[in-house]
Amino acid sequence: MARRRRLVMPSLRTIWRSIVSLAKRAYAAALIVLVLWLSFLAIRYLVVTLMFPTPTPAQITGIPKRLTEAMLESRLTEWPGVVSTDRPRAPLARYHRLDQWIQPDRFDSCTQSGCHSPLPHARRKEVRAFLNMHATALHCAICHLKAEQQPLLTVWYDLGTGGARSAPDVLAAYGWLTSDIGRQELADPTPETQQRLVELLRGAARQSGDVPALTQLAEHVAAVHYSSPAFQQLVETARVTLPRHFRGEYGAKLTLLDTSSQQPVLESPGAEPAIRAYLRESASGDVAGRPELWAAIHANHRPQKLHCTDCHTAAGGLLDFAAAGYPAARLEELSRPGVFTMIEHIAGGQPFQLPGFVRPEEPQQSQPAPRP
Amino acid sequence: MGNGQERHGKNERLGWRATLTAVRAAALILAGLATLTPAASLAADPDNCLFCHEFRGLSRYDREAGGVHVYFVDPDYFHDLAGPHARLDCTACHPREEVAVVPHFPVSRVNCTQVCHLSEPGRQERRFSHSNVAAMLDASVHTREMLSQIQFAGGPLLEPQQSVCLYCHDEPVFRDPANVFPALPALGSRAFDRCDVCHRAQIPVDAEYYLRHVASRLQPARPPLAQTQVCAVCHSDPEVRRTHDLTDAVASFLRSFHGKAALLGDHSTANCLDCHVAAGENAHLMLGRADPRSSVNPANVASACRSTACHPGADPQLAAASVHLDLPTARGTLEFLIAAAFILLTIGTFGPSLLLCVLELFQIVIGRHHEGRREAQALVGAVLAHPAGRRRLVRITVSQRYQHWILVLLFVTLAITGFPMKFADRTWARSLVDSLGGLHVTRTIHHWAGVALMLGFLAHLVYAFPALLRIARRPAPGGGRVGLLRGVWQLPMVIAPWELPKAIQQLAYLVGLRREPPTFGRFSVKEKFEYIGVFWGTTLLGVTGLLLWGQQFFSHYFSGRVLNIALIAHTYEAFLAIIHVGILHIVNVVFSPHVFPLSMATITGATPVTELADAHSEFVQDVARDLGIRGPEDVSRG
Repeated sequence: MARRRRLVMPSLRTIWRSIVSLAKRAYAAALIVLVLWLSFLAIRYLVVTLMFPTPTPAQITGIPKRLTEAMLESRLTEWPGVVSTDRPRAPLARYHRLDQWIQPDRFDSCTQSGCHSPLPHARRKEVRAFLNMHATALHCAICHLKAEQQPLLTVWYDLGTGGARSAPDVLAAYGWLTSDIGRQELADPTPETQQRLVELLRGAARQSGDVPALTQLAEHVAAVHYSSPAFQQLVETARVTLPRHFRGEYGAKLTLLDTSSQQPVLESPGAEPAIRAYLRESASGDVAGRPELWAAIHANHRPQKLHCTDCHTAAGGLLDFAAAGYPAARLEELSRPGVFTMIEHIAGGQPFQLPGFVRPEEPQQSQPAPRP
Repeated sequence: MGNGQERHGKNERLGWRATLTAVRAAALILAGLATLTPAASLAADPDNCLFCHEFRGLSRYDREAGGVHVYFVDPDYFHDLAGPHARLDCTACHPREEVAVVPHFPVSRVNCTQVCHLSEPGRQERRFSHSNVAAMLDASVHTREMLSQIQFAGGPLLEPQQSVCLYCHDEPVFRDPANVFPALPALGSRAFDRCDVCHRAQIPVDAEYYLRHVASRLQPARPPLAQTQVCAVCHSDPEVRRTHDLTDAVASFLRSFHGKAALLGDHSTANCLDCHVAAGENAHLMLGRADPRSSVNPANVASACRSTACHPGADPQLAAASVHLDLPTARGTLEFLIAAAFILLTIGTFGPSLLLCVLELFQIVIGRHHEGRREAQALVGAVLAHPAGRRRLVRITVSQRYQHWILVLLFVTLAITGFPMKFADRTWARSLVDSLGGLHVTRTIHHWAGVALMLGFLAHLVYAFPALLRIARRPAPGGGRVGLLRGVWQLPMVIAPWELPKAIQQLAYLVGLRREPPTFGRFSVKEKFEYIGVFWGTTLLGVTGLLLWGQQFFSHYFSGRVLNIALIAHTYEAFLAIIHVGILHIVNVVFSPHVFPLSMATITGATPVTELADAHSEFVQDVARDLGIRGPEDVSRG
């Protein structure tokens, strides 16, 4: 036994040495490759930069020069020319500033499939832009999919993850600021109160695409002492500022709730194979089967058209804005029937003369503004 | 703009502001305060157009034209009075009769030269027009007629009949007033309280608005990088360059110091307009290079460089330094030839070191190793047994180790602060510079680390000089003394001509043409070669670095082309140093299987016995001789 052990031990040592030797050789070989590769890159860089003109870097040329559909599919931060400088210029054909873009929705199968543009409404000149305006806050399913419940069962989904989420922070913040309980808490604030407000404001800023006004407001609220008069002043400023940002840019969209899975509905149920076949046939130029496929894709679609006042009504509307987290002040705006009756009037082909209902009740005062 | 000192001072302030996060936060908050005040009472939207147009989604895709019509108008621009046009009614540009109906009638293109009415505090209105600017433009190289005929590589950038002003302009915004009034953020609203005593009611003026307006006008309309983006729209477009016979001026500008500083986010560096617009004129009067009135006409370039805002104390010959140094298109020039020579030098010096490094690693791969000289190992053992032996066999002294680590520290500092300038167009370069506190801070660190390296280099010369003196006083074999000149060759880190054959023997051994590797003295030829590289590199980088740092001063003694050459030499030599150290030296002293994870020679100064016996046996013999120990033959026999 002892003799056998003596025979085995050297053998194990030898194996170990061989493994170590092999590893050492492999490591040295890898180093050779690495050294040669890095050296090649370095010398190639020198020669290429001397012999061939270097193109203008993307920080300079990588700004959106045209307002194209592709631009709607990208985020602001994906343009190197945009992120390399403060307040970069707008695309050339556009004069007004475009410091934030329409947030791309990468979870809406209607637009992601390649069938529909992110701004899908294009037919009726009178209302197409108004309808597209809704596409930044509402998934197609809200208006275009069949739903039995009235009001609709809805849920917010995050544009970053596609998952269900609570109401956008800008709505939550304003709801809290203007609620009775919120007013009480903010009248006698604590560090926790301040922290909650800061987090809501930061979330609102982030979800709206880093709008400077909200970002600065959040940082300002974070910087002052919760018991100072400046804090109260900022709370008032927030009550004035937040409603200006109810513009449908929430980093989230409202869609139907799938009651079985409790998940947001992001595609027409069961339509995926038909969509693929439709696109395949479109690409090949074979159009014979397209009507059937089209019908299959849109099988779950709401048969009748919706009207503005189906949702924008004081009571009994298809959408329960309050349940979706809209604060009371916003609810009032969303249910003002005059505005939406007017749009339907326009949709019916009747031009609408300004000024009228949209003119503010109080004329703007032209004088130096008070400062805190 | 102010004089050069002011510009430098501004640069310094900008740099420090970038480093002091707390101060920046305060500035942000207080600047934000201005935008959060209910300034909307001054905003121009009496028709409440923003009721609809404040939505980003108020847009449509035009499939036929392949473009998107975005009808969104950022309401924050008006709420925050973010720019000089924030007080204009929408109908100042868009005819009321066209937009008073929903859906709007087809609207005519905005004419930027039409007369508009500015709303003044106190309800006064003034008529205003940009028609004078249009007249200037027509007298410049960028006439409206020429601009309207521009053809771009990817098709038109503007829609038919849109104003050509849009090539350069979008909705203007005020720049941060703190750039020119650094005290403003600290003052906050107090800055205006005194103004408001009178100007709130009696003489209504929105002091804050006017301060932001004036402060914005006291600085370039855009930061240098954004300004370059504007110029690049046309000047980087291949079709525009082809049809107008233009060079790629933007690309070449971005290879200059000014362009790289712009890429790295510096706000004080010269932009296109600083050179191409004559002092006292405005950008709309830009003239072609051939025009004798142009600031970039060869006769006027020196004046442009020496303007009070840029290089006021420089000699006119500074203008010979190229702002558009484009080596690939400058073939045949001295600058190109020197750059090419540096590449050859890089290949010629880096190549042999690379070959040695790779061949040494290859010995490990194939399992070839030298058995070692038994006699030499015995001699090392004998020397180590001597009371003074261990100390004498230390190849790198304590002082030399300190010098090495100081060099390491300064080298890394210089590389970190210098390489972003070389690779300014890479994303990491901007991030690195920002993390260091901005370009001004980065350059300051680079300059002073360079000075420290030069001082260290001088200290090293002083350190080495006594050794040279000792050698010089030794008796020469042919009689007399060695002397300083011949003594240099005997310094331990200098490669003497008679050592070159050993390098060839080393190579022959590594490729299998010799069975025995050569032996060296205290330092091998490879180590000496690296030392000479540092010696030469420090000298060259130091001299050229000083020339570039003090270009204004040295312009009185040298042509600007010397600065071009200094720049080429500095950047290529630095690159050589980086790749030599970053690739080969690091492999030799860190990653090589012989020393991994780190060669201890630069920490303890000690060298392994086998290495001493194998590679430095001449050194061991010298030490043994000094200590009175017998030769290797005697040791092995005894």
